[in-house]
Amino acid sequence: MTSTRSRLSGYAVVLLALALLGGLYTAVAAPKSKAEDPVNQSVEVEAGRQLYLQGCSTCHGLNAQGGAGGPSLIGTGGSAVVFQMESGRMPLARGSAQAPRKPVKYDRTQIDQIAAYVESLGGGPMLPKGKLDDGDLALGGDLFRTNCSSCHNFAGVGGALTRSKYAPSLTPADARVIYSAMQSGPENMPRFSDNQLTPDEKRAIVRYVRYVTHESKDPGGARLGHYGPVPEGLAVFLVGIAVCIVITLWIGARA
Amino acid sequence: MSDSIRDRLKATPEEPTLTSHGEHPVGDPTVSTHVSYHDDLRSDPRRAKRAEQAVAALFLLSVVGTVGFIATYVWWPFEYGEDGWEFYTPLLGIFFTLALTGIGAGAILWAKTLMVDDETIQERHLLSSSDEDKEGAVAILKEGLEDTGLPRRSLLRNSLLLGGGALAILPLPLVFSLGKFQHKESALAKTSWRKGMRLLDERGRPVKLGDVEVGGVKTVFPDIPGGRRMADSASLLIRMKPEDLHVQPDRKDWVVDGHIVYSIICTHLGCPVKLYEQQTHHLFCPCHQSTFDAADEAKVLFGPAARALPQLPITIDDEGYFVARSDYTEPVGPSYWERKPSYPDKVQ
Repeated sequence: MTSTRSRLSGYAVVLLALALLGGLYTAVAAPKSKAEDPVNQSVEVEAGRQLYLQGCSTCHGLNAQGGAGGPSLIGTGGSAVVFQMESGRMPLARGSAQAPRKPVKYDRTQIDQIAAYVESLGGGPMLPKGKLDDGDLALGGDLFRTNCSSCHNFAGVGGALTRSKYAPSLTPADARVIYSAMQSGPENMPRFSDNQLTPDEKRAIVRYVRYVTHESKDPGGARLGHYGPVPEGLAVFLVGIAVCIVITLWIGARA
Repeated sequence: MSDSIRDRLKATPEEPTLTSHGEHPVGDPTVSTHVSYHDDLRSDPRRAKRAEQAVAALFLLSVVGTVGFIATYVWWPFEYGEDGWEFYTPLLGIFFTLALTGIGAGAILWAKTLMVDDETIQERHLLSSSDEDKEGAVAILKEGLEDTGLPRRSLLRNSLLLGGGALAILPLPLVFSLGKFQHKESALAKTSWRKGMRLLDERGRPVKLGDVEVGGVKTVFPDIPGGRRMADSASLLIRMKPEDLHVQPDRKDWVVDGHIVYSIICTHLGCPVKLYEQQTHHLFCPCHQSTFDAADEAKVLFGPAARALPQLPITIDDEGYFVARSDYTEPVGPSYWERKPSYPDKVQ
């Protein structure tokens, strides 16, 4: 072998080794790209934009900048969209002191698409991926009582606020609606940022709300609407006192 | 009414007779419509028998109640989650009610149906003692006084009065150790907040700038052991846009960038005022609907509260956490008797 050929074959071996090593690394150990498949994401956003133009732009503006009928959605985040639309509050049927819950007009895919579109406009809070209701039940109860029960009642059946506003009952709300309500602070409800109530704490609260509105068994057997002292007092007066009066009348009557 | 009773009434002296027939001028006040069931029962033993059986049934019902109560107490599940556990207390209550009312109702029915119910007259005699007894008692007391020697021995009498009188006024100076003389100010006038105390949330973590968003609220407690349980110190940290927050010049350094802290104890009757409406900035008390404007020093907008909610002066410490600048400058919560009408408004 001449010296030139041996040098060339040396280079070839090195190149082959590098290619082999690089290929193996890419196939096995290279980190997967974090970015969403850009084609899929823009399809979602575009689908959301079409739905938005159809059903929301009349009040919220062609570019979600707001209008006479509704505020700007730039920066409100996808979480607010999930809350408002999955509880049926949006699209709003008419103005009132507070948007009421009503039958939902869109399915979950469509809502997620509109949420993706609104999120793309200016960021804002967005629901995390994964389960939203697998938090610590006891912690959730503690946090619920401190932060939520003053307006929503100890068992989540809601309560009155000023001037025809109200904190609604939490019974019809599912995990996505509860989580997004805390994140987005709809209408007069305060916002609970992820710094204030961490995602774990929010999941704990969601778990507790679902529990107390659907699973908790009431000692005594009758929940009386979970409103507390008012229906209990009513039961005492309408049933208990009435029975006492009947007995009193019987005692005093002629045999 | 029986004839003997009627005769006894007529026999009272000075009875005015205004009519020629000798009738009572205002009519006989005795209720004369009383019908004795007893007479019917005497004539109808079958009804009496049935009444007796009804009473017996009620007493036996009471036995059922007792047995049921004991059985429920011993065998019915009561741990949370077991089948039927939620009916444990109602069943105990129902059986206990049966046990007691069985006896009670039986006793009442027995008295109504089977017991004698004639009217009788209770004699009323004078309660005071006879004159002889009264005079005798007075004589004994007089004799006793003579025997002590007091009427004759003036030195004895005067020294006794002096000593007894002195003893009577001995406890009077002790009054100056009580209440108002020792405590210049009511314990209600201060909370546990002091200068430099961090604001802790319900899980004991300090709150820093950026934790609470615009439109958010956080319940905060003082950073001392047991601070979480100090009900008079519970406060609400509210964040709103700085341009929405109206602060008087004296209190510009009581707020931090739109963050403001109020006491949550309603100045009406002490319920926690934590219902915050982020768009209207109203704080609402659920008990009697007092409404406070959080954007304007919690002044009362509506409702029975007489005073605005006290405000806690806050600032940021070196590490970026919220701290109190002092205690509240006025007593928190409802009015009380010793509450002074005006309090210093400056941070101490």
